[in-house]
Amino acid sequence: MKNVTDSFLCLSYWPSAGSFGFNTDILATNPINLSVVLGVLVFFGKGVLSDLLDNRKQRILKTIRNSEELREGALEQLEKARARLRKVETEADQFRVNGYSEIEREKLNLIKLIYTTLEQLENYKNETIRFEQQRTINQVRQRVFQQALQGALGTLNSCLNNELHLRTISANIGMFGEMKDIK
Amino acid sequence: MNILLCSVNTFKRLYEISSVEVGQHLYWQLGGFQVHAQVLITSWVVIAILLVSAILVVRNPQTIPTFGQNFFEYVLEFIRDVSKTQIGEEYGPWVPFVGTMFLFIFVSNWSGALLPWKIIQLPHGELAAPTNDINTTVALALLTSVAYFYAGLSKKGLAYFGKYIQPTPILLPINILEDFTKPLSLSFRLFGNILADELVVVVLVSLVPLVVPIPVMFLGLFTSGIQALIFATLAAAYIGESMEGHH
Repeated sequence: MKNVTDSFLCLSYWPSAGSFGFNTDILATNPINLSVVLGVLVFFGKGVLSDLLDNRKQRILKTIRNSEELREGALEQLEKARARLRKVETEADQFRVNGYSEIEREKLNLIKLIYTTLEQLENYKNETIRFEQQRTINQVRQRVFQQALQGALGTLNSCLNNELHLRTISANIGMFGEMKDIK
Repeated sequence: MNILLCSVNTFKRLYEISSVEVGQHLYWQLGGFQVHAQVLITSWVVIAILLVSAILVVRNPQTIPTFGQNFFEYVLEFIRDVSKTQIGEEYGPWVPFVGTMFLFIFVSNWSGALLPWKIIQLPHGELAAPTNDINTTVALALLTSVAYFYAGLSKKGLAYFGKYIQPTPILLPINILEDFTKPLSLSFRLFGNILADELVVVVLVSLVPLVVPIPVMFLGLFTSGIQALIFATLAAAYIGESMEGHH
């Protein structure tokens, strides 16, 4: 009886409990079901997953392209702004140069004007001085004449008697008569 | 007498072979501790899958991503979105934690459901998803507890404990109880879902091996994915809740 049961046990290929090993019983290890489950999972999951990941990738690509375009646009605008800046700078320089020459010219003009005005004033001053001089000289002459006449009048009044007076009057009449003859 | 002994022995051996062993784990002796070796082995496999795939894919990051890089970036955006919704503005430092929770639980659940673990036979116990062991889920839940305590304490200091009397002081025992029920519910929810699904599949396979378990396996994939998402979302929600209300 023991032999029968022993051979029965040998037929079932169970490894002895208590050791490592491989279980080759396909009904217990379930590989058929597992492969079916895995197959269905991969089949449906792959479609869904690649859709999701493709969407994500497209979104990333679009964002990158967008930012590249924005960068290009920004660079272009920067270039334009720089060119404008340069143009405005040259114009400003020109204005500055023109302005300086204008200022120089104005300065020279002003200086000339001032000089002429100064000269004129000088002339006026000199004329006034001369005029004053003449006036004072005339005044002095007049005074001198007045003094001389007064002296002469005094002398005449002091040493004039009737005879001298008669002789002078007859001399003057004779002079007047000659002048009237000449005319 | 001999015949009786023999038959008892054969019955015992037959019983050993035809039993579906649940709960008997493979133990390793490390120092004074007994560790659950099969959970460790499957955890290592899950960690290896995560690390190797991450390293391989993110080795040469391009501006226009390759397929794998795109996929990982998508997963990262998803996790960031979950953290941001639950935690709010300061979600940045917590993304790695929430992401680790989500990815570890998700990959371990799906690896338990999809990989043919039963091909490798252990002396005791069997390989399956690491989250079907209560130790794993309790560890994850305790980590979440520590995380939300740390979040609250580091943001508010000792004023964090003021939240226990927050709406009214009458609710103080309920608030304290919450600190115990949160990790409890997290761990048991995950453990129960994963173990139950595995058991259903195993039982169905032992009854009707060929086609009938397939819908249940799909259901298992769906719910285990949802469970990973729920765990991560709840972890983020607890962290956000303990950090909020800072004036």
